[in-house]
Amino acid sequence: MPFEYLPVMAQNSAPKPARILAAPSKPAWRALDKPARQSRVALLSSAALRLADQAPFIPREDLSYRRLPADPGAGAIIIDHHSGIGRVPRQDPEIAFPRTALATLAAQGIIGKLSPFHFSFMGGVRRHEEIENTLAPVLARELRQAEVDLALLVPY
Amino acid sequence: MIEGQGIPTLVIGTAHDIMTQVPPPRAAFVDHPVGRTFGPPHERSRHELVLAKALAELSQFARPGEIRDLKINWSPDGSRAWEDELRAELLRDR
Repeated sequence: MPFEYLPVMAQNSAPKPARILAAPSKPAWRALDKPARQSRVALLSSAALRLADQAPFIPREDLSYRRLPADPGAGAIIIDHHSGIGRVPRQDPEIAFPRTALATLAAQGIIGKLSPFHFSFMGGVRRHEEIENTLAPVLARELRQAEVDLALLVPY
Repeated sequence: MIEGQGIPTLVIGTAHDIMTQVPPPRAAFVDHPVGRTFGPPHERSRHELVLAKALAELSQFARPGEIRDLKINWSPDGSRAWEDELRAELLRDR
């Protein structure tokens, strides 16, 4: 039986009501144009990740995002997310943001190419309409500009 | 929401109950603690394995909202002892 997160989230919110899980206003499905081995792939992480020379995220309602070079040698990743789960991921952010593993799979031909950039934003933000109407379209535009065929989203 | 903008997505997630309640277009479930989706720190081969298994599921998705279980346990012996530590960490997020 998988770990149940919703009861813990409700306990965390008490005595306030549990946070609302917001789905997109319109369900979406976009068929894959290519198999993974021919696709350009980007990572999207809700861990509020950045490089040391990028501006820190400001918990908890920050709607900005960071563009992170896909090259694993392009600088250490900092986790700004406020969640209490951060102790272990801060030892090795790759466990939440597998930038090196994805580069290895690209070298092995399991994916076609790396996107030049991956992207990160702050998970758990309650400004749902702004996420859908502002942040998501901007991220999608970034992904289109990078000619990304497939985005891998890793919730944090 | 990214998929709604025309970019195909795959969520690789650890929270089965949340993904069930708010189903992404395609989801791969990893039975690891949240925040440690790809395995323990510095175990690169494990990170690659989880990622490769998730990508291998891509061709199997036939309908929106499907969650495919990668059948990967955190502990080799199937122990769930990690859940107590995770619960305590989550409850620090107040």
